[in-house]
Amino acid sequence: MDFRIKTSNIALLYKGAAEQFNSLPAFATRESALKWKPVSYKELYEQGLNLATGIIELGVKARDHVGLFGDNRFEWILSDYAVQLSGAADVPRGRDLSDEELYYIIDHAGIEVAFVETEKLQNRLFALKNRLPDLREIIVYDPKAKIAQGAKSLAEVYALGESLREKGDRRAEERIENIKPDDLFTLIYTSGTTGTPKGVMLTHANMISQVNTLPGDHNMNDRVLSVLPIWHIFERVVEMYTISFGGCTYYSSISNLGEDMRNIEPTFMASAPRLWEKLHERIIKNIKASHPVRQILFHIAYFLSRQYTVSQYYMTNKYLKLKHEPIWKRVLFMPFHFLRWTLVVPWYGFFNAAVLERIRLGAGGSLKATISGGGALPMHIDRFFNFVGIPVLEGYGMTETSPVISCRSNDNLVLGTVGPPLSDTEIQIVDPETEAIIYPNAKRAHNGKGLRGEIWVKGPQVMKGYYREPELTQSTLVDGWLRTGDLGMMTHNNCLKILGRSKATIVLSSGENVEPEPLEMKILQSSYIEQIMLVGQDRKFLGALVVPSLNEFRQVGFTEKTVKDLSENPATYHKIKEEIRLMVSASNGFKKYEQIRDFKILSDSFQVGHELTNLFKLKRHVVSDKFGHVINDLFSKELTKN
Amino acid sequence: MEFNTQLLYNHDQALLAIMIFVIMLGMGASLTVDDFKAVVRKPRGVFIGFLSQFGLMPLIAFTLATVLNFPPAFAISLILIGCLPGGTTSNMFTYFSRGSVALSISMTTASTILALLMMPILLKLYTGGFINQITASLQASDSGAEFVIPTGNIISSLVMILVPVALGMWLKRKSPDWAKTAEDTAGFVAILVILYLLGTAFIRHGGLFAQTPWQVYVGAVGLGLSGFLFGYWFSRLLGMFPIFQRAVSLETGIQNGPVSFAVILLSFAEPVQSQMLWLAILYSTFIVMTSSFITLYYRNTGKFDYNIHKNTVIHNRLFGSDYVTHYPEGFLPARLLKDPSQGSSPSQRRG
Repeated sequence: MDFRIKTSNIALLYKGAAEQFNSLPAFATRESALKWKPVSYKELYEQGLNLATGIIELGVKARDHVGLFGDNRFEWILSDYAVQLSGAADVPRGRDLSDEELYYIIDHAGIEVAFVETEKLQNRLFALKNRLPDLREIIVYDPKAKIAQGAKSLAEVYALGESLREKGDRRAEERIENIKPDDLFTLIYTSGTTGTPKGVMLTHANMISQVNTLPGDHNMNDRVLSVLPIWHIFERVVEMYTISFGGCTYYSSISNLGEDMRNIEPTFMASAPRLWEKLHERIIKNIKASHPVRQILFHIAYFLSRQYTVSQYYMTNKYLKLKHEPIWKRVLFMPFHFLRWTLVVPWYGFFNAAVLERIRLGAGGSLKATISGGGALPMHIDRFFNFVGIPVLEGYGMTETSPVISCRSNDNLVLGTVGPPLSDTEIQIVDPETEAIIYPNAKRAHNGKGLRGEIWVKGPQVMKGYYREPELTQSTLVDGWLRTGDLGMMTHNNCLKILGRSKATIVLSSGENVEPEPLEMKILQSSYIEQIMLVGQDRKFLGALVVPSLNEFRQVGFTEKTVKDLSENPATYHKIKEEIRLMVSASNGFKKYEQIRDFKILSDSFQVGHELTNLFKLKRHVVSDKFGHVINDLFSKELTKN
Repeated sequence: MEFNTQLLYNHDQALLAIMIFVIMLGMGASLTVDDFKAVVRKPRGVFIGFLSQFGLMPLIAFTLATVLNFPPAFAISLILIGCLPGGTTSNMFTYFSRGSVALSISMTTASTILALLMMPILLKLYTGGFINQITASLQASDSGAEFVIPTGNIISSLVMILVPVALGMWLKRKSPDWAKTAEDTAGFVAILVILYLLGTAFIRHGGLFAQTPWQVYVGAVGLGLSGFLFGYWFSRLLGMFPIFQRAVSLETGIQNGPVSFAVILLSFAEPVQSQMLWLAILYSTFIVMTSSFITLYYRNTGKFDYNIHKNTVIHNRLFGSDYVTHYPEGFLPARLLKDPSQGSSPSQRRG
């Protein structure tokens, strides 16, 4: 029997889940490591109806925009329920935005009613209020907050709605009936990697299409760990998806992640590459600290698993197929892989059970899958987890596509790619200069597979447009095709491979194009380098801004206590120079113009909310602006030489 | 068939002794005093397991040996294997077959201790006929000697086996890191030594494989498989739920191979020793393969009930021990609905 809920809008999804899953836990919040507070599907829906009635009474009309400013906590999802059940759309953001952004969003979206998480945020809004005449109501989540004159606490609005519903108020039910698939579900302002915030309009139909087509086999027994920012579209879709199959979402946080993973033993989660990098670092550290015999056992286990998995991938056609493989080649290689697989399998079986399982237990041991999104997963991290048997599935998407465009599934796990496009999604690879279609193109060999270009997407998840930005919408969305601005190619086994952001491309003064991301990822394999950004647009050679890893340097005997002190030590410079040279050399297959000729060591690391997005992606333009003088300094030698 | 050559040379015997020591040390390193206490706290499952291990398994061995018309030395060896306690191998297989590891560990600890009492009794009970055959053939040939089951030796070798186990438990208290190493190494060593023994047997006595009657192969494979099958249904008959059924099944079928090597080497002499050892080696080899397949099978079929069990355990861990998980009607199969570990009523925390 299929218990998945399929509806035409998110409000009906909430309602259906309450009827279907009833007293099963929907969300759980942490009080302490082993004490969590669950709320059932039915309770949540009823509470949502009460709060919805409360905000309807406050004057929220159908299709209004209601602000939700806060981070992961139960009240957030409750107020999201209320907004959806009142037929309105929400405008979500985390706490970490600047006053200017806050003002811009509230003004641009025409927000009249806003939920805020904390007292501090409430006060910041009040300070902006004289510039925002339309903002009428501010509702505060935090029960401990001191409510300012003119604001309301969540409890107050909830009580208002509750008493109205007791008297027979059924306005919320009417609103739910009147939601159209094309109505906005959310309006998300992306600080993004570029420019001013843009309001991405996502509809109920967008969200429902994602909920229905995400790959995976999940049911009411699933435990889903939530650690990404709740207002990020990727995390939200995973939460909606979880509601559709009746799983329980557990709100964890980066600082408790390791502990929560062991206690909750999640079966599924949305994640970002950085989480896996951190986990990888921790695992490697533990292995290095363990008994020598066990280290050897681990290396044997990993070696065997690699032989086994690679051959398995080859035999099941799940390897990175950038070039067409003629039949004779396959006939030639198949027996080799079959033989290797057969020889390795009993040993792999034993070591997998005895050694690798312990490593999997570090991530709870029950993960069926985890989708990593919001940035490219470094190849060595990707390999590591898939070889030890933690299926990290990389997905690809953007806020504008709500967000998943393509995703690996357990049946379609091709390392190095972001999997096949979702079932009802069309992909075109287009020449960014001439806009000629490269894939699918019957005139080209193999229909244009294996050729690189800009990725264009068409499908039910593509946004309605940018709010109040018709020109921007027109230039991004042409005939239903969304221009992603990402470079990629279709592999010969129909998976999408991302090759960098076309806008991140560094064009050297010699005219050579350099994709910085793969290079950066390669260099980041050095444990001495914490963060790096390549620079060199319109310059003669490539340069880099580097943040050294304090831990690693201290481990090899450096005594500096801060990154700043470290950056001033000349020995640091020499060590990093050596490391970069090791990672990017002609013998590694890098071209001459891809060599990093010089770099500067920064005195502080890149921070989330400043130089990094919430998903730890570099905001290149922010870094370039902030460190403009450093970059100029870096290339000044170039001037003096000439 | 004739076993006129000695199966093992002295250095092989030494190697085997080291292997037994390492494995039993690893077994001890995986046990805690709490595991023994758990047996007393929840005796029902362990009792059913006991009936299955010491009631069913020796009977299966005896029946197989009789039906397949085993030569007497092989028959005694097969019955001896049938009476063995469980080892840590079964715990690992139970873990991967999504069975109750707690029950498997309890059964291993209980049976290791109880074997001191049960093995001599059971051997006396089942081997009588075969002993007479051996004695008859001995008397017919020359010496007029009488063959007896060396009960005293068996008990003392079982006690000797417990020494490295206790040592392992002590090691775990002293240095958890070393204990983990011992645990990880043990399985690996076992596989290497068994492969070495098979390899050398093949090289030195190439004819051995061909000389061994087909019935012996059937018995060596069939003993484990029958143990799995009967253990599974026997425990079901007594009202156990799937995760425990899988534990009992594997614990019944998988015997502690190294203990059989120790008992045979320390208690029996030629002309029966080599034959008995040969069967023990065959059993140990085949059991790894059959258990792997059975584990894969259980792992798949048990996925659903195990996931529900796991979810209940975690709900109780995080939401309080009195939290009840109610699934919609039709989601749980009727049988699981009655299972206290499956979410329909408050459950105790179970591994």
